[in-house]
Amino acid sequence: MAPILEVRSAVKRFGGVAAVNRVSLALEKGRIYGLIGPNGSGKTTLFNCITGVDHVDEGLILLNGLRVDRLKPHQIFHLGVGRTFQVIRVFPELTALENLLVVTTAGYAEARGRAEELLVRVKLERLAGEFAGNLSYGQQKLVEFIRVLMTDPELILLDEPAAGVNRTLLNDLLDAVRALRDQGKTVLLVEHDMKVVMGLCETVFVLDHGEKLAEGAPGVIQADERVIEAYFGR
Amino acid sequence: MRRTLPVALGFLAVALALYPLEATGYGLRVGLQLFMWIALAQSWNLISGLTGYVSFGHVVFFGTGAYTASLLVNAGMPWPLACLSGGAAGALLALIIGWPCLRLKGPYFAIAMLGLNEVMRVIVSYAEGLTGGGNGLSLPTLDASRSIYYAMGLVAAAVTAVTYAIVTSRFGLRLMTIREDEVAAEAMGIDTLRYKIYAFMLSAIGPGIVGGLSARDQGYIEPISVFPLIMTITMIVMALFGGKGTIWGPVLGAVVLFIFQEAVWARFVYLHQLLFGAIIVAVVLLMPRGILGVLQQKYNLPRTI
Amino acid sequence: MSVLITPTMVGQVVISGLLAGSIYALVALGLGLIFGVMRVLNVAHGPLMMLGAYTTFGLFQRFGLNPYLSVLVSMPLLFLIGVVLQRFLVRRVVDAPELSSLLLTFGLSIALVNLAQLAFTSDLRSVEYLTGSFVVGPFAFSKPRLAACAFAVTITAGSFLFLRGTRLGKAIRAVSQSREVAQVCGIDVQRIHLLTFGLGSALAAAGGSLVAVMVAIQPEMGQVYTFKSFLVIVLGGAGNYPGALLGGLLLGLVEQLSSLFLTAQVNEAVAYVLLVLVLLIRPTGLLKGRV
Repeated sequence: MAPILEVRSAVKRFGGVAAVNRVSLALEKGRIYGLIGPNGSGKTTLFNCITGVDHVDEGLILLNGLRVDRLKPHQIFHLGVGRTFQVIRVFPELTALENLLVVTTAGYAEARGRAEELLVRVKLERLAGEFAGNLSYGQQKLVEFIRVLMTDPELILLDEPAAGVNRTLLNDLLDAVRALRDQGKTVLLVEHDMKVVMGLCETVFVLDHGEKLAEGAPGVIQADERVIEAYFGR
Repeated sequence: MRRTLPVALGFLAVALALYPLEATGYGLRVGLQLFMWIALAQSWNLISGLTGYVSFGHVVFFGTGAYTASLLVNAGMPWPLACLSGGAAGALLALIIGWPCLRLKGPYFAIAMLGLNEVMRVIVSYAEGLTGGGNGLSLPTLDASRSIYYAMGLVAAAVTAVTYAIVTSRFGLRLMTIREDEVAAEAMGIDTLRYKIYAFMLSAIGPGIVGGLSARDQGYIEPISVFPLIMTITMIVMALFGGKGTIWGPVLGAVVLFIFQEAVWARFVYLHQLLFGAIIVAVVLLMPRGILGVLQQKYNLPRTI
Repeated sequence: MSVLITPTMVGQVVISGLLAGSIYALVALGLGLIFGVMRVLNVAHGPLMMLGAYTTFGLFQRFGLNPYLSVLVSMPLLFLIGVVLQRFLVRRVVDAPELSSLLLTFGLSIALVNLAQLAFTSDLRSVEYLTGSFVVGPFAFSKPRLAACAFAVTITAGSFLFLRGTRLGKAIRAVSQSREVAQVCGIDVQRIHLLTFGLGSALAAAGGSLVAVMVAIQPEMGQVYTFKSFLVIVLGGAGNYPGALLGGLLLGLVEQLSSLFLTAQVNEAVAYVLLVLVLLIRPTGLLKGRV
């Protein structure tokens, strides 16, 4: 079965530094993947390259076999890719509801229906008319999460979904991610919280200084000496 | 409350419509110019207030519309149609300029617009064969002040109505996301370039038509009179002062500052520009959201203010 | 226009271009410093230059002071003015959205130009000091331009020595690269901002003083330099100080070269088209800058 996402020898340089250096990975449909690595290892840069916010200098990125590394972010979005950001990027002067309505090109009634349904699912329906900038951190995080789900993307990229989130909310989020996987979606998440990664992901990629260090099941990765070295130094 | 507003507006509309019957020539001109400024400030708001891309050379559309309409009138076209063509010319110019320049980040777009007005003025002066160059262009004499008053009023009302329609639509929301966070907007599937171009073109139509109407009213135009920096400045001050990004803000700003302008400018020509400069500085530092913007935030008013 | 273009003409034009470009580089360096350190697009840069020119004129008229020496007065004067403007106005918008700093400096530029109109009237002034040219072989070097270039090069070189060699200069470059890191290293960023705006204004004033001998002095004379300084920054790369030098010279060259083929009026359009082209094709500038 063809992978839903394939990154082939991607290289991204900033000045003289290669933030992403010959990274290759392949994601199979319907699984949850994790992307970990020490700070500065290139995780968010890789995300940016996959979603079109940045462009790779060398290498290819294929989505369902289609080359996407030269496309603009909005085009990649419409091919069925959704993402959240490391630092929450909701639109602060739009209401929670408007944040959701704005991303879909579906008819108003249909969009509104889906938006309200998602808001109910995360128990935010009372805050639908509240400006997103006025919401609490956790609430904004949820809005950003369901915003991704508005257009029902096939591939979902989550950048540090657990950051700054309390236990209860986190469990809800993790359940939601598992539910997405059960629906046949593919999820790739960047995370620092090892418990989350180990408990949720089926396969984990490890980046260090822009290179892929290891790849495998969580248990295997945890025991890998190179990974331990990368995190805790030599 | 809901019923009083439309009724009040209705009365106002009727009063404005009947005004020319009583007004003197000067009074008519004042009313006509007020409508013009409302249209200009409101149009600037469409691009700069909603998307956050500041247009520093917006008067270029006014001048382009003025010349287009004048040339067409001299070629025999009836002036209403010529003025509408002025609007179309403005939109076309916006498309040509916008397509390359709106790709740039906000500050760089601003730089590009700073230069554009000067370039157009120079080009118009240069193309003497067509535009009469520095000698200007005359139109056949016509006393149509009253009709132009109504026409300007219509344009002002139309631009305000269009702003209302946009702000309450998803199109408007998408424009605002560009202002809020362009990177996130792109990542969320919004083709920001296309939306910016649409907004830019829409913002150029008003000035284009109004430029044509103004030219028809004055009967004579020359490069410096229709591409003056002070016009861009005034537009910006009016929209900023009243509240950019709001619907009635530019109207409020236009009315207040126009009255102020009539009271002060008549006496102190130089002070006028200086005061506008000071007002811009004051507004940016003290109430960058303008009067209505501040009220909106303080009293949690809806966006349709 | 079917005049044959000879190598001599091209050579002459190249010389004129470099001479003019040195002034552009000087003024643009000032703008570039302000932008690099504070991310503020100083639309009032041209008017600051204009004030430098008027200072030179005033000193020349009142005291007969050598215009080139008046740089020693106009630079400190505008440095102080710059510091005051930064302290009370610009400082408030350094961290605001870029729109705010653009509008603020825009308002400021209008105010400055009109204050000048009130104080000096719009009458054209000039400083008649140096005229004529040195003729070397087939080439003519305009004396005022040559002198201006010499001073511009000196001041610019001095600025670079300052930026590279002194602690303060290094601090400025540090803040320009990363404000947070500079703060953590114990640099007083507010002070650096004050100094940078003052320095940028001083450089603009120097440019104004130098061109006072060559062009008509009037309140609006600076506007075109504002735009051209932006163009130079874009050409050389934002935050890239040697790039500003290169960009200035390049602009001077392109302008003079295009005057061979086009009329003087269309020159303005050339600068504009160049700006748009560079912004589209290579927005980070010819030498790498930070967008």
